[in-house]
Amino acid sequence: MLSFFRDGFYQDLLILLIVTIIVGAVFSQGIAWAIDTYFGDTLDGMIGEYGEYDLVLHIRDEAKEAALRELERIGDQSFPGYKLNQTLTIAGQANFFFGLPAEFRTKEVLESITSYFGAVPGLNGYTLMVEPSVLIRGVHPSVRQELREQLEDLPGVKFTVRDGANLVIVLDSEDSVPQVTKQVQSLLKQYQILELRFPMGFEVDTQLVGDQALAILANQLGAKNRYENVTSAEYGEDLDAFLKTLVEMRDFLTSYASKVLITPDPQVRLAVGERILFAEPSDSKEEIIVEVTGVFGELIEGMIVQGQPVQSTDKLVQSGYRYLGDGSLGEYVGEVTIENERYRLAYAIDESLRLLEELEELAVQASEAVANGEAVLTTFQEALMQLEVLQVQMHQLNEGIAQGDSKASGEQFLVSLLLNGLFQTLAQAAIKTGEGSLDSLQNLDIEEMRQSLLGISEQIANVQAIDVAAIIQQIGFVRDTLPDLRDEEIGQSIRLINTYLGGQVIPGERIQILVRGSHLDEKELETLFRSELDNPYLHTYSTSVGMVNPDARGEIFRILKEVRSIVAGMLSIIFTLVVLVLDHATIFSTLKFLRSCEKPIKRRFLRIFDPLFLLGGVVGSIILTSVYYLSRAQIPLVTLPVVLLLGFGLGVLVVVFAERFSPVHSMEVMAGQSLGLSNVQIMREVVIPPSRPGLMNLLNRWKQQF
Amino acid sequence: MLDIKGLHKHYGKVIALDEVDLQVHKGETVVIMGPSGCGKSTLIRCVNRLTEPDGGAIYFNGQNVLGLNSVELQGLRRNMGFVFQQFNLIARLTILENVMFHLVLGGMDRDEAIVLAKEALAKVGLESTWERRPHELSGGQQQRVGIARALVTNPELMLWDEPTASLDPILVGEVLEVMEDLVKNTGTTMVIVTHEVSFALRVAQRVVFMDQGRIVEEGSPQKVLENPQSEIAQLYKKLLAS
Repeated sequence: MLSFFRDGFYQDLLILLIVTIIVGAVFSQGIAWAIDTYFGDTLDGMIGEYGEYDLVLHIRDEAKEAALRELERIGDQSFPGYKLNQTLTIAGQANFFFGLPAEFRTKEVLESITSYFGAVPGLNGYTLMVEPSVLIRGVHPSVRQELREQLEDLPGVKFTVRDGANLVIVLDSEDSVPQVTKQVQSLLKQYQILELRFPMGFEVDTQLVGDQALAILANQLGAKNRYENVTSAEYGEDLDAFLKTLVEMRDFLTSYASKVLITPDPQVRLAVGERILFAEPSDSKEEIIVEVTGVFGELIEGMIVQGQPVQSTDKLVQSGYRYLGDGSLGEYVGEVTIENERYRLAYAIDESLRLLEELEELAVQASEAVANGEAVLTTFQEALMQLEVLQVQMHQLNEGIAQGDSKASGEQFLVSLLLNGLFQTLAQAAIKTGEGSLDSLQNLDIEEMRQSLLGISEQIANVQAIDVAAIIQQIGFVRDTLPDLRDEEIGQSIRLINTYLGGQVIPGERIQILVRGSHLDEKELETLFRSELDNPYLHTYSTSVGMVNPDARGEIFRILKEVRSIVAGMLSIIFTLVVLVLDHATIFSTLKFLRSCEKPIKRRFLRIFDPLFLLGGVVGSIILTSVYYLSRAQIPLVTLPVVLLLGFGLGVLVVVFAERFSPVHSMEVMAGQSLGLSNVQIMREVVIPPSRPGLMNLLNRWKQQF
Repeated sequence: MLDIKGLHKHYGKVIALDEVDLQVHKGETVVIMGPSGCGKSTLIRCVNRLTEPDGGAIYFNGQNVLGLNSVELQGLRRNMGFVFQQFNLIARLTILENVMFHLVLGGMDRDEAIVLAKEALAKVGLESTWERRPHELSGGQQQRVGIARALVTNPELMLWDEPTASLDPILVGEVLEVMEDLVKNTGTTMVIVTHEVSFALRVAQRVVFMDQGRIVEEGSPQKVLENPQSEIAQLYKKLLAS
């Protein structure tokens, strides 16, 4: 195969390789540079040049026109010489870049942005982008002021601005950025937040335990002044609330679920987690499975995890059988009692509703009864007065009869006898009931009775004034809104909540200790704290008091640079493949044809490791590696050996399919051979001219004679 | 002039040439005949090493052909004209360029090459088609260009590999006419592989009959073609007669 190149074609190949590499590098680099420049310019157009703008105001899209007018007004009034630019609208939010004139780029102005721009219509917030600056994110409140003082003493720092939890360090010049960044990082390393986290369920007195932790650190490591309890309640409040809610929810569900009590047979032992089948009467269609949740001597509690008992306010008592894992039944375990407070509550509500309805009716009827009572009393009083008049008249009549008054007639005498008989009957009845005489009727206190009836009437009126209908409606609403949960759903939910609360170590309470000076190993301290605080479940973490954030613009340009490198890398690979297919496939297919005319290879090694594959692989590797590195390409994870291998693979691939990519005109080659042409002449005059257009074809035109 | 000894060639398990011995004398016209696949084309391709034999020896004017390096082989090939069955013209070149390009690449002055090429084309009856491309010509014309290309260097030995096999019967005649004329008038040593019995009878001084990679019979055309001794030659005669 080497003889093919020996008579001069190696020079052509060498020139081709060099030109290919140069063109490839220029092509890949050029396209990548064009992309880089395009995006860079686009970016500058969007966010301005370095230091041109100081803040981005995020405005709701629908208010952007009004906001623009207001921003112009604020600019004209407060910051003459300002710059304003509206850029992209993202997710319904328009972004306005606002540049402050140099004289207004002060700590006071930058910390009062809200007072200047707070009234801008549709304002959703703002982002400071003062340049040159270094941003520290998430500065711990305990060191914020201390850090600011130190940072403002650093050379190159103009001032610092607090932006929420972040700290913006405004610099004198762009050149100071690397140096200040380094110093800030070094400064932050002098602090450490040591966090002690307790598992869920621990009610920790953060002050007390914090002080204990400080004492432990001071005793074990000395330098008492290095440590400070900076536990801040602001962290984790949401989580606390959530966990408390979960606990309450669990308690509610527990009380809402059916109560299951198991009275075990003396020989039976049950453990938490075991399952028991509740043999309910035959009218129940589904199995009820109970899980043991607590064993307290002879008292065993359980929870229904499958099925639903019949709706009854009475206790359900049935035999229980051990429910085995494979679904089969085991031995009798004892009596299982199920009580359902949920059903009782529903029953009580229904009864209350009935009572209220009855009460309303009762009040109406009572009111009518009182009115009737009053009428009876009035009639009774009138009758009593007439009786008194009659009694006086009778007395006069009796006296007249006794004195032999001639005026008294026989009829008067008869009436007198009748009335005497009547009064005697009344007197006897009064004697029988214990009354002394007939005068007791006169002793009845009609007025008092009337007053009593009046009092009752008022009370009935008060009852009637109560809005019973509203009470009924609300109680009905309460009844309707009671959770419609099956016992198995309740049981499963309780189990899930318990798993979450008990099984997971969720940061519930935590203590934060600020450590100054050298860094402490939190893992070593974890062992110490666990032992000293007698809590094997606590965890210790270490966090920074702040994080230096890469400059946003610098970050974008760094990403653009990465994109450029990746694009260059991809283009290098594509270029290599194209060149191999257009140019080198022709050479490989010619070599394959020439070899087919030669004696067959006898060496087994050469038959397996075809030298042509080696040639293709080497050519591919040389082109790809050179183009890749000359074009300053860089694809993540693609290292030099990977590039070499990739090039080799592409070369071998093209050798395998060379005849398909660039078929050689074998008869023309054979004609050239028979006419005594050299290999280089055959390539230049016979093979390359009709081959695919490529660099080789182009370069060959200078050497081609026909 | 050409001495082939014990020439051996196989393609995989198929034996194409099996210990072939053949001598060709200067100015002699030898016609090689035989059934398809008997090794005729392989034999003449081995002579100028278009196909590399596996073993044996080839001497041309006393020179060991198989021992030549690539440069020497190129010189040898220039002295051996080869006419292909499929013409093997360079499609992108004109007729004139096809005939002259190897002269120029061999170092000859372009004008001189043009003159020689035109003479060669005239010899094969193509005086007015110089600027045409091969695809514009008939098969017979293309083969005559192939013959002119082989002749233009005035080789000592002409190798013909079934020159009429790709042509229809009408065009075969014009090519055979040119060949016959060349045999009679140039005095060049020729080894011709063909199935044209009448042509062989007319022009061959010796006919070599091959079968299964071996020479089974050789002698004068009358002897081999009219009174064959070998079974295959007899069968061949019968088939051709029918």
